[in-house]
Amino acid sequence: MAREATLATPLVRPLLSRRARDLLTGYCYLLPVALALGATVLVPILSAIRMSLYNNVLIKPQDYRFIGLGNYARLVHDDVFWLSLWNSFYWVFGSVSLQFLGGFAAALLLHQTFRGRAVVRTLTLLPWIIPGVVVALIWEYLYQPNYGALNDLLVRAGLMTDKVAWLSNPGLAMPAVIATNVWRGVPFFAIMLLAGLQAIPDELYEAARVDGAGVLERFWHITLPMLRPIIVVATATRIIWTFNYADLIFVMTSGGPANATQITSTYTLLQAYSNLDFGYAATLSVVLLLIMLAFTTLYLRITRGVEPVA
Amino acid sequence: MDERWRLSRRQVLRTMFAAGALTAAEYAWWDEPLISPRRAWGATPVRFQFSVPEPKRNALVESLVQRFNQSQKDFEARVEFVPQAQARQKLITSIAAGSPPDVAQVWDNWVGEFEGMNAVDDLTPRVKDWSGYKDVIPLAWETVTVKGKILSFPWVVTNDGVYWRTDRAKEYGVKPPRDDWTFDDFLAYTKAMTKPDKNQYGFGMRGQGTWAVLYATEFMYANGAQVLKDGKVAINSPQAAEALDWYLDLFRKHKVCPPSVPTDGWRGIVEGFGRGVTNAYIHNSGSSEEQKDFVKPENFATVPLPIGPAKKRVSFYFSETLTGFKAGKNREGAWKFMSWAMEPEPHYMYSKGLGLLPARKSVADRPEFTKDPALAGFIKSFAFSIVSPYLAYAGWGGKLDSEGVPLFQQALVGKLSSKEFLDKFAEVLTKNMS
Repeated sequence: MAREATLATPLVRPLLSRRARDLLTGYCYLLPVALALGATVLVPILSAIRMSLYNNVLIKPQDYRFIGLGNYARLVHDDVFWLSLWNSFYWVFGSVSLQFLGGFAAALLLHQTFRGRAVVRTLTLLPWIIPGVVVALIWEYLYQPNYGALNDLLVRAGLMTDKVAWLSNPGLAMPAVIATNVWRGVPFFAIMLLAGLQAIPDELYEAARVDGAGVLERFWHITLPMLRPIIVVATATRIIWTFNYADLIFVMTSGGPANATQITSTYTLLQAYSNLDFGYAATLSVVLLLIMLAFTTLYLRITRGVEPVA
Repeated sequence: MDERWRLSRRQVLRTMFAAGALTAAEYAWWDEPLISPRRAWGATPVRFQFSVPEPKRNALVESLVQRFNQSQKDFEARVEFVPQAQARQKLITSIAAGSPPDVAQVWDNWVGEFEGMNAVDDLTPRVKDWSGYKDVIPLAWETVTVKGKILSFPWVVTNDGVYWRTDRAKEYGVKPPRDDWTFDDFLAYTKAMTKPDKNQYGFGMRGQGTWAVLYATEFMYANGAQVLKDGKVAINSPQAAEALDWYLDLFRKHKVCPPSVPTDGWRGIVEGFGRGVTNAYIHNSGSSEEQKDFVKPENFATVPLPIGPAKKRVSFYFSETLTGFKAGKNREGAWKFMSWAMEPEPHYMYSKGLGLLPARKSVADRPEFTKDPALAGFIKSFAFSIVSPYLAYAGWGGKLDSEGVPLFQQALVGKLSSKEFLDKFAEVLTKNMS
């Protein structure tokens, strides 16, 4: 008996391979985010780069023209820009290093068990919750040499005889605004590091204790390595924020006295809103962006990124 | 019911009217309740931008706008308040974007910038036909005249004078400043009125903002210096350097100023005097109303700036203007609003409410201005008032603040000598003569 042959029906070959389809689906999911990021991040950056190539002073519309790298050449010879760049580094590293140390100390303290810990944790957050402009106004008042509370307290405590012009003395103005920024930024590090501390398994400390490790050894070999990803992310974020943060200085000193607190972001603001020189202000912004990109790349390379160290 | 307690309808209405009138009389002019705000159906809107330095002005301006709307049927003014610190850039960006308000309240030193942007109309022929033209002080017209063209209305005007504490001068037995006092008298007064043990200083010098440079320039003029000479920048002359040294030494050497000077802007000098930390400061009449609240009217007075070694003095005269814009959508409405605001009654009320001086002679001659001791110093300064020489070039406007002030602060804190500052400042001015 002859057996009937079964013919296999050939499968219709899809237009795209399975891998390509998966990839396409993934990209379709990403598309809205990419469009949103492109419109809100990429377009303004490209527009700033374009603007930096033009002579664009709003009060002189008749002089609007393409000048190529003219604004960049002007920047190289601008003494105030170089001073503001130096001030920016002083401001950023002064602020962030002290915020980090203060925040770490606060996080270690808040990690301990004690009565009223919840209240203390909430209070610690307060400076971070207050808007920057309000912080600036409060501290400006505290520093006021004639009727400010700080001078009054220090004189009454016998720590000073003469009143000090904290914000009006070029030598003291930058440390004074940094102190204000430290006060505001400590809670940020405290909360970030506290979250990290709580995620470290107790077993690690117990094992180390059994092996005879002391407090410092446990801190150095367990706490710090385990917190490393958080420390890297928090400090990198904070450095970028602080570099771009103009509110505090703008309100407290407007970059003065005699440019002693002029940082690149306040200088950019001054060029844009006082001189209405948007071409030069855009140039300053582009340079600021490049500096921050270079810094972040270098920083992540030095700290070996955010992956835990094996 | 006893008939004596029964009121007729007429009596009730009379009583209500009288009570209303009495209540209204208690209000400041701008607080008076409007009985029936006019609903301007079909009236074309007039956008009016007003910059706000203090809340008191809001009510005053709202009231002015309502009164304008009640006074006619064709236009309805709508006020847009903006913070004073951002008013200039908001206006300039709106001009650049092609959507400025129809009319705005702006300082005279911005008008030149608007002219440079070709944003304002030449009002000269129309202004000269306006009924109040001849009643406005000629110097006031000068503040809004650029390249021979009248571009705005000088709404209110003022100049600089010295505020001083009458009560404390009496208490310390210090000779009160005379109208014709000199640099030496000024120094003697500020020294005698400096009492470090009481946290009091003789003079509240301004170290921040454009006017920090302008006040110093007034002292330079008193020594025979000029900003421009034969069309060239001459602010770095030996006379200017000598006067500036003298002026800065008030802070650097004589210590008659509070230590906060390098960062004291307008708010700093006004508050310093108001809180009793300083016993004199230079400003225009605009802070006189505030000082009446802070220090009380009987405790302070004003006097002209001192006469310098060159036996002369100047007081910079400027105006707060009403300016209409070419690209405004309702230019006729803008004109109506501006000319109405210059009518004697609204003009008087606005000036009086702010402590600034009316630009119209007939209003400025009223005793409320001429007899007020808080304004005496300014009125007596009219004889030697000049329009600020820094109005000569629109390009100087922003540069005074962004480059002039930081340089001035360097001289103030001793990082630059007066001559070095003036040389650098002259360079900035020369570069921006456009």
